[in-house]
Amino acid sequence: MLQKKICLLGAFGVGKTSLVRRYVSSVFSDAYLTTVGVKVEKKLMTVGTQEIALILWDIAGEDEVSAVRVSYLRGAAAFLLVVDGTRPETLETAESIQARVFKEVGRIPFFVLLNKADLEHEWTIPAARMDALASAGWTFRRTSAKTGDGVEAAFEDLAALFAK
Amino acid sequence: MLDLPAPISDSLLQLVHTQRVLAHLMVDDVQDLVQAGGHLAHYGLAEVRCGAPASDQIPFLEGMLPLVETPFLIRSMAMPSGRVADVHFFADGHAVWIVLLDVTAEHEEARRVQQKAYDMTLLSQREARLIVQLEAANDELTRAHHELAQSREALQQTHDRLQRELRDAERYVRAILPEPLLDPLKGPIQVDWRFVPSTELGGDSFGYHWVDADHFALYLVDVCGHGVGAALLTVAVANTLRSEALHHTDFRQPADVLTALNKAYQMDRHGDLFSTVWYGVYHAGSGSLRYASAGHPTAIVVSGDRESVGQWRSLPAVGPCIGLLPKATYREEHCSLQSPDRVFVFSDGTYEIGPPDATMPEFDTLAEILTQPVRDGKSELDRLLDYARKAHGPGALEDDFTIMKMAL
Repeated sequence: MLQKKICLLGAFGVGKTSLVRRYVSSVFSDAYLTTVGVKVEKKLMTVGTQEIALILWDIAGEDEVSAVRVSYLRGAAAFLLVVDGTRPETLETAESIQARVFKEVGRIPFFVLLNKADLEHEWTIPAARMDALASAGWTFRRTSAKTGDGVEAAFEDLAALFAK
Repeated sequence: MLDLPAPISDSLLQLVHTQRVLAHLMVDDVQDLVQAGGHLAHYGLAEVRCGAPASDQIPFLEGMLPLVETPFLIRSMAMPSGRVADVHFFADGHAVWIVLLDVTAEHEEARRVQQKAYDMTLLSQREARLIVQLEAANDELTRAHHELAQSREALQQTHDRLQRELRDAERYVRAILPEPLLDPLKGPIQVDWRFVPSTELGGDSFGYHWVDADHFALYLVDVCGHGVGAALLTVAVANTLRSEALHHTDFRQPADVLTALNKAYQMDRHGDLFSTVWYGVYHAGSGSLRYASAGHPTAIVVSGDRESVGQWRSLPAVGPCIGLLPKATYREEHCSLQSPDRVFVFSDGTYEIGPPDATMPEFDTLAEILTQPVRDGKSELDRLLDYARKAHGPGALEDDFTIMKMAL
């Protein structure tokens, strides 16, 4: 069976753990529980006739004093940058992380998950900035770990990259 | 190896072994698990099998081998059992050792501190966003307030201009009303009136004039509604009667006058407005009063000495309002008058006083007031106006108050 390591990265509180829980266990909790260190989950899926095991690394979020340890991405087939649509500063953190990953690990595929789509009316990320990043090759997906909207589709689209 | 005395290195080893719940794994150069030991069950790894691919059994090893740097540490990794371990990797020839040391207690402590810090940070970020939103809303409100003030000023200027124009119009409406005829030496007929529009521009107008040497015409127009539209129409109708501007019409014949007036002022050509009109002609030689009504309140004749209570009688007449029916015709009525009879012609605003749900004074009450003797030089017209104002209460009357008195 094909087995691929996927890392979830982003600022703290953007919903990385909630996305993994929604995708792997189909559950969601409104209570925010911060992640320290790393938690690894395994999810089996099928793309076409290809069975794939996604090894999901839920890595503690980045804050002002502790940066994501990019070395944890060693051997990763792809990564997901998670952004909280209601906090524009988390897009800046994602940009910083993406630059470091490309520099230290190499140009591996990634998607940007614009999370908390259930609060889209509160989103404040400038559309012009997103357009500019999309032009630079960023692939955005809207997700809501709370409602589940877009979550499975995002992981399936990512897995489809490996099945080809 | 560290150059430590054996008791110290033994003690340290014992400490790590007992407090950190050590477990170890060894993976060979083809990434098969070749050795596993220590407290594997503590981490949920009791089922691992040597001789099988390591990353199939231990997911976190996927992609990590072969090692790029040694030693390598992954801090605080959650294990399948729920315990949290620091995961140490180091190379040993072509093989790699993986050592797990339990840090669950430290992890939980760090998580609690971090949770507090992140909660505070998220709150402060939210507060900052709310402040920005509030400031933006405040700026928007300030802008809106400024625009509103400008609009209000423009509106006030327009209002002031319209008020000036309305006052000009009101002056014109009043200017075309005839002067009272109060001097008995100047003719056989005296006419007095009171006119109080409910707004600055009312729908009432009236007039009187000698059609010829023997015939004296008296008329009152009440256009439905108030304001500019009603005032324009009532002035137009009154001017038509005053200037006798109806073709092929004998202004000594009240029914003919109303019939012609109705044809000239159909509501579909006059802003959907209609009116009531009372038109009478007094023949001085015979003392006969001929009159007709287009939906107008009944006029009253009061007889008897003016210094004592008089007797009143109504002057009944029926006919449709002016403007409603193109082919309407009107019936002429007549009565005989003799001095000192007084004829009162009035609009409904003289007795329908107050808001629609208020108790209205009876028509008879109006008639009774008009029969009262003149005392202290105060005419019955003023008494009626005082009564109407008292019955209405403070503020402008709901409808135009218009009454004419023709005295012989």
